[in-house]
Amino acid sequence: MQHSFDVAVIGAGHAGCEAANATAKMGFRTLLLTINFNNIAFMPCNPSVGGPGKGNLVREVDALGGLIGRNTDLAHLQIRALNTNKGPAVRALRAQTDKQLYQRLMQNYLERQPLISIRQGEVIALDRIKDHWRLTLSTGVKYEVAAVVIATGTFLRGKVHIGQLSFPSGPQGQHPAIAFGEYLETLGVKFKRFKTGTPARVRRRSLNFAAMIEQPGDHLAYGFSHWVPWAPREPVSCWLTYTNEQTHEIIRKNLHLAPMYCGAITGIGTRYCPAIENKVVNFPHRERHQVFIEPEGLNTDEMYVAGLSSSLPEEIQDQFLRTVPGLEEVEIVRPGYAIEYDVIAPEQLSASLQIREWPGVFSAGQINGTSGYEEAAAQGIIAGINAGLYLKGESPFVLRRDEAYIGVLIDDLVTKENNEPYRIMTSRAEFRLSLRQENADLRLTDYAYRFKLISDEEYDRFQAKRQRILAKLSYLEQNQLLPDSKESRALQEITGITIQQKISLKQLLKMPAVKLSALWDVIAPEKGCLLEDEVVENYVKYEGYLEREAKMAARLRKMEEKKLPEDLDYMAVPNLSSEAREKLNKFRPATLGQAGRISGISPADLSTLLIWLTGSGR
Amino acid sequence: MKTTETIAAIATPPGEGGIGIIRISGDEALLVGTKILRHPSGKPIKSWPERKVRLGYVVSPDGERVDEVIFFYFKKNHSYTGEDVLEIQGHGGYQNLKKILTLVLKAGARLAEPGEFTKRAFLNGRIDLAQAEAVIDLIRARTDLAQQAAFKQLQGDLSQILKEQENSLMELLVPIEAALDFPEDEIPDLERARALEQIHEVRRALEQLLAQADRGILLRDAASVVIVGRPNVGKSSLLNQLLGEERAIVTPLPGTTRDFVSEIIDLEGVPVRLIDTAGIRPINDPVEKAGVEKARQLMAEADLIVVLFDAATPLTPEDQELIAFLQAKNPLVVLNKTDLPVKLQVETLQTAFPQAKIRFISALSGEGIQELKAEIRAELMGTAGREEQPVLVTKVRHKEALSEAIECLNLVEEGLAEAGSEDLLALNLRAALEALGKITGRSVSAEIIEEIFSQFCIGK
Ligand SMILES: Nc1nc2c(ncn2[C@@H]2O[C@H](COP(=O)(O)OP(=O)(O)OP(=O)(O)O)[C@@H](O)[C@H]2O)c(=O)[nH]1
Ligand SMILES: [Mg+2]
Repeated sequence: MQHSFDVAVIGAGHAGCEAANATAKMGFRTLLLTINFNNIAFMPCNPSVGGPGKGNLVREVDALGGLIGRNTDLAHLQIRALNTNKGPAVRALRAQTDKQLYQRLMQNYLERQPLISIRQGEVIALDRIKDHWRLTLSTGVKYEVAAVVIATGTFLRGKVHIGQLSFPSGPQGQHPAIAFGEYLETLGVKFKRFKTGTPARVRRRSLNFAAMIEQPGDHLAYGFSHWVPWAPREPVSCWLTYTNEQTHEIIRKNLHLAPMYCGAITGIGTRYCPAIENKVVNFPHRERHQVFIEPEGLNTDEMYVAGLSSSLPEEIQDQFLRTVPGLEEVEIVRPGYAIEYDVIAPEQLSASLQIREWPGVFSAGQINGTSGYEEAAAQGIIAGINAGLYLKGESPFVLRRDEAYIGVLIDDLVTKENNEPYRIMTSRAEFRLSLRQENADLRLTDYAYRFKLISDEEYDRFQAKRQRILAKLSYLEQNQLLPDSKESRALQEITGITIQQKISLKQLLKMPAVKLSALWDVIAPEKGCLLEDEVVENYVKYEGYLEREAKMAARLRKMEEKKLPEDLDYMAVPNLSSEAREKLNKFRPATLGQAGRISGISPADLSTLLIWLTGSGR
Repeated sequence: MKTTETIAAIATPPGEGGIGIIRISGDEALLVGTKILRHPSGKPIKSWPERKVRLGYVVSPDGERVDEVIFFYFKKNHSYTGEDVLEIQGHGGYQNLKKILTLVLKAGARLAEPGEFTKRAFLNGRIDLAQAEAVIDLIRARTDLAQQAAFKQLQGDLSQILKEQENSLMELLVPIEAALDFPEDEIPDLERARALEQIHEVRRALEQLLAQADRGILLRDAASVVIVGRPNVGKSSLLNQLLGEERAIVTPLPGTTRDFVSEIIDLEGVPVRLIDTAGIRPINDPVEKAGVEKARQLMAEADLIVVLFDAATPLTPEDQELIAFLQAKNPLVVLNKTDLPVKLQVETLQTAFPQAKIRFISALSGEGIQELKAEIRAELMGTAGREEQPVLVTKVRHKEALSEAIECLNLVEEGLAEAGSEDLLALNLRAALEALGKITGRSVSAEIIEEIFSQFCIGK
């Protein structure tokens, strides 16, 4: 039995898979541990990937050389473009996936990596042996590694609730990690309890689709990945139906049986993906709520009932489901449930996702208090990269808020007291216009190459693309249309704009009515690549705004450059408010910028800190 | 570890008041007190009960009694600055207070910089930024009206008005943001026509505040009024008249004032900085030449120029030169020495300044001075009387924030009218809110997310 690895990744969910892939690509022998080998990259909740903010995360992870984007493209059932008319900042892709296919593809990909060994086993202890870490499995097998990524999802002391019934469990009936949670606690890790939930799965054959509205996919020219060629498929549809007063009545009558309402659950749930119980209670005036019926895959009869997440008793779930048009004869395959689990209190994490007091131990994914596959994957790749850098003795990789949604996500995680599972949203990003989905590679792929997460060939491809974009931009800047020329007449025909005097193509493109495709039609007969043209077009049309964001970012960067010493004792800094002292000692921000984003830190506290730092000659 | 330096200053305005206060703040406040204060019995003071009025003497190092005083002690957590504070009330004569202060400084304190007590209160989290600014204004406020504006801000009048506008903008922004982040949830579409109206209203309210801002900034920073004229026309005499005291030197010799003299006066509630300049004429004396140069510069920076002519002599070439220089500057034209027989041709002057209403005064007798004061005030503040709406925006920083917000709202209006995309609408609305937040301290980004979830049922 091979026992010598550089790094161990505990958990093979969406965070763990990315972390293991990153450390292996960086050249480290990687042990990927999973409680159940059948459930690698398992999707315990909805079958979809992407959406506003989330889709940007997927493209960013992909641009960094991660897996979620390519795997989603390969396993997709349908894909849609969202917010198409609301501006480039919020354009987003969302895919429905075939869950089983997704898992199989991810497993096969990881199995092909020579430096990754996937093993089934439950970790029950993690001990520090000098500058190494020793993992002990429940079978007694031990591994010694130099770095660890903990990515245990909702497994740590997981507890499932269905009505009055509750039992220790991982998601969807899997074995929970009870012993490991307890062990970490004895080592001094502070945990919070969060709660999440999922709706029932139902049998396709029991549904009447004629009573629902079909939600077909779009025919798109590209998917998430920058690297695997996009192979669109004939979209598989989802279906829309609605709850009604009858549904709500049943739920209201049985609220006392819901663990959230009878006090059985103490964990804190999400507001953006609430149980139907909460929707009915919090929005009593709504006459109906949307219900999306989504296929779980091509090789299964299971359908996902999005919008009706519930932890009411199975019988009640059965009752209220039947009130929904199209679900009158519904057969539940698995009931919905709520799950409570351990979450690491965020002040114990540094911006590199390392557990502060434990050199070489990182954590990623739901255990850090997020929700969503995309958020997990984003942290997974960063934890993996940082484990690799730690092994190399290099300083950690921290993305800024103006560079990536990943930066926003992790910065929020380590500076904010989140009291519900964290989901990325575009409104959390102050540089929303710069962090577009179509320019993710331009923002991040240089890093991917630096860390060797992509191949030389892939990087060459990227550089060629960047060259083409730059060439197009300078072409637009340098070429002009003359009044009364053949081209300007053609343009007038398409756009209705009369050209009065010599004007550069770039100036023309800044006009709202002028699309880049129209310009190409007029001046160059061959069509450009769609995705690249989107970059060019957005860059020109939003130049002013982008420059404004860049200026803001530069100001922010200045604050980020002011490093705060790790060992700074804030209790000893005179003149700080006591709340600030407490918060700063708790979160130990790495920079003045980070300190400013901690809730409860006032501008006065910041100037005090700044003055004190300059005064003490640091 | 760094300790804060102990600072001290006379806390009451200079003048012959009944009593005067010396404030000492910092870790060594009591140490200073122990050194210079004695019991009425002459014994040193050992105990320092907090917030108790006590009687005693200030003594010099060789034990001599300097003044009989009252003193109080405030511990860190109860004081204005958030540091140990000792306040000594002595007899108010300036010379006397200065003597006590000198002893305090000798005992180890350092002289406080202007506003330093407030700065410390701010740094110690005792007061927030807007309050700190208002307090500093309050301290600096020299006149009733300026004091009113400072008080108003302390009580949050400005914040109250801005809060309403912020709420109105939030009301628009939240559904836009919600729809951007949750395109598949049922969030009502933006009603552009209604939104346009709402934005328009907010913009108008902000513009009104901004329109008053110049007046407000004037209140805080004292308008400057420069008195110019050729030598010997009576500039210094006029300054003294307006001031009501003999501040500037007056002689029958031309070229008396060689540097400028400046004093602040209260013109019915408006603080005005009056500046008397060196008479303008061609000269060779380098000192006087520098004075004339300075006068030209002061004219360029002034809020109002008062140009003085001598009624008792015909216009001189120097007067003519000045007239040419002031053509575009819209000065207040004043004819002095009207107590003497008038030799100057008023018509010539009127042709030179066709727009101006020429005022007649005598800086010697005081004739026409009250009227001139009213004229100056009206020029500076517009013709409105004292009872008009209170001025709320008194800081350049606030004015800038308001302009920025208005600019962003213009972009929002443009976007709404021209089918602009929602991401930019949201961006500009946010920027407007952030600009207002610079005044009110409200941070919108966290609030938006809270609001999205409380207003809309989100989630599949
Ligand atoms: N009769 C009369 N004499 C005046 C009046 N105003 C000023 N004077 C006299 O004019 C002389 C010059 O007055 P100043 O006030 O020193 O004149 P100035 O313009 O400041 O002169 P410079 O500083 O030399 O430029 C003094 O003798 C004053 O007493 C006035 O209204 N009537
Ligand atoms: Mg003079």
